[in-house]
Amino acid sequence: MGYLKQFSIQQPFSIAMGSSRALLMLSNFKFKPSFPFASSSFLKPFSPIINNNLRTRSFSMKTRSSLQPPDLPRLAETARISLSPNEVEEFAPKIRQVIDWFGQLQAVDLDNVEPALRADTEGDNLREDVPETFDNKEALIASVPSYEKPYIKVPKVLNKE
Amino acid sequence: MYGHQTKKMKNPFWVLSFGKMLSAIQPPRYLSRFPLSRRAKCRSLHILSSTEPVTRTSLTDQSQILSNRDLLLSRQLSAIELTHSYLDRLKQTEPHINCFLHVSDPDKVLKQAQEIDDKIKRNEEVGPLAGVIVAIKDNICTADMPSTGGSHILEGYRPPFDATAVKRLKDLGAIVVGKTNLDEFGMGSTTEASAFKVTANPWDLSRVPGGSSGGSAASVSARQCVVSLGSDTGGSVRQPASFCGVVGLKPTYGRVSRFGLMAYASSLDVIGCFGSSVADTGILLHAIAGHDSLDATSNKREVPDFTSQFTSASSLESRPLEGLRVGIIRETVDAGVDSGVKSAIHGAAAHLEQLGCILKEVSLPSFSLGLPAYYILASSESSSNLSRYDGVRYGNQASSDELNALYKESRAKGFGSEVKMRILMGAYALSAGYYDAYYKRAQQVRTIIRKSFKAALDENDILISPAAPSAAYKIGEKKNDPLAMYAGDIMTVNVNLAGLPALVLPCGFVEGGAAGLPVGLQMIGAAFDEEKLVRVGHIFERTLQGYNFVPPLISNGAFA
Repeated sequence: MGYLKQFSIQQPFSIAMGSSRALLMLSNFKFKPSFPFASSSFLKPFSPIINNNLRTRSFSMKTRSSLQPPDLPRLAETARISLSPNEVEEFAPKIRQVIDWFGQLQAVDLDNVEPALRADTEGDNLREDVPETFDNKEALIASVPSYEKPYIKVPKVLNKE
Repeated sequence: MYGHQTKKMKNPFWVLSFGKMLSAIQPPRYLSRFPLSRRAKCRSLHILSSTEPVTRTSLTDQSQILSNRDLLLSRQLSAIELTHSYLDRLKQTEPHINCFLHVSDPDKVLKQAQEIDDKIKRNEEVGPLAGVIVAIKDNICTADMPSTGGSHILEGYRPPFDATAVKRLKDLGAIVVGKTNLDEFGMGSTTEASAFKVTANPWDLSRVPGGSSGGSAASVSARQCVVSLGSDTGGSVRQPASFCGVVGLKPTYGRVSRFGLMAYASSLDVIGCFGSSVADTGILLHAIAGHDSLDATSNKREVPDFTSQFTSASSLESRPLEGLRVGIIRETVDAGVDSGVKSAIHGAAAHLEQLGCILKEVSLPSFSLGLPAYYILASSESSSNLSRYDGVRYGNQASSDELNALYKESRAKGFGSEVKMRILMGAYALSAGYYDAYYKRAQQVRTIIRKSFKAALDENDILISPAAPSAAYKIGEKKNDPLAMYAGDIMTVNVNLAGLPALVLPCGFVEGGAAGLPVGLQMIGAAFDEEKLVRVGHIFERTLQGYNFVPPLISNGAFA
């Protein structure tokens, strides 16, 4: 695949960046001095995006030093997805590229900014905690791939270890 | 079927009426509102000047839903005839466009239409959406038909319930014509990441319809249905609306119940509306909006009657938007944005000024931070949400003699590459010790973005921007370049982070394809102020002249 030739693991960032005009937008990030969050560190993340130099940049944030690059087999284990060797080869450079791109937020000054779980939702919309009967039980059970009345059947749960 | 009609281009009724059967009877009035234009390329923006009289049109001319209803209730057309016309067009166009993953059994669809006709014959009340042909994105559950989310892991799955939005549409008389194609579980911007098929853009079959709600947008564009439902996590309603030249409405976070929507990123997901007019999307939103006890994030606010905003063009004053403050977001018409898109947006801004708006440039310096923040939040939340697909309770199961292997194999076989990668990235971002560096920081960026939108919307009634940095691009063009694909979402993701409502409506064309490619204008409003967006969008649309947003394939009958 052409992609893999271009995007070897040794040189994951020589790619793509220039091919997207939209990404150039990121280089034109301008700050008004009056912007309350503007600081010199705020500007840092945007140059590496264009310079294709993501791995060599240094972060002032202490958190960064402890961050390891993604270890695909371990992540796949965590996420309960088997990956074929081909998939590992295909995904690794792409995932590293995106994770490094995520990394630009490390250099943003976010001290004293409250995290927002989501957009505002007003009031208490929780319903009463009372059981209700679901009418279409048959259809629920019909969609279970492996069913032996009255149980959902799965392979043995306990491991030897 | 349409071939003979092109010879009679001078008669718009002939050309645009939609089938043998219907061409013999009174042409549907709503189709006549599309001006015929043979000079498809290089249309110049004709701005309705304040001194020109506004063309007289009635309210029903502005909405397919309302005009169809008018035809039904005045008995000029039966629901059966109307339904046939959509089914015929769907049958003709679908092999070329591939909007649907599942098309309803025509006999069942016609039976529902017959029931409406019977009611009308007996002078019984019919629902406000009686006979409205609606398509549903396949990540929204429908009880009596497959709902796959575009994923092999749910191939053949039939949910035991309707999503609340679908149930409300059915209760009001709408007829579901099928389930539309999407990027697997909504993860993508082109609909190429569907496990089943690639949908084409009706304006140029070699181009993508956008995504992830590409099937829903293309089916409205190709007039295979009247309106459709999509979902919008980072722009999945607005960007395809822009690419396909239709209207897309992303409601405020919490406005519409998400019960029955397959969860992707729960802090961002909303169900949204597609139509060929602002009025239709407003009517559709009104039908599905409002509190639902089955979704704790759905809001209890009263839903205004958006139809009250649809003044007929004839009653418009010369400057109907006098004094409305419009902020154009500087960062969205900057470098990196296609020049054709920029000039279409500037043209739209000029049109708004003609209508009386006060235009101002607004800077949102945090705008570009929204993109990585969005992808951190979306992939993290998806890695959690998609853990439900374990092959045990529903969906496809791989055979294995050990439970963990069963999970891993079922998911390996069931998920496509993009979904696997996003789950893995999300698992990385949520790894022990990394939460503060990624997820929490992204949430802090969300706070900054919310505040900057709030400040901008305190000073402006609405904000405008493009819906995407370019018009529709070629199928395959960005498939192997995740960052290039993600960068295309820059115009839309911030709105999801802030939870705001936004309306995208076609405002012009750029060069491309046989007849040019449509460009959408995004209007962003304050939380729960869809009413203003619908009002402004409606007036904008009614006064924008010289454009025809029906793809030539449909309007000149290339599928004969």
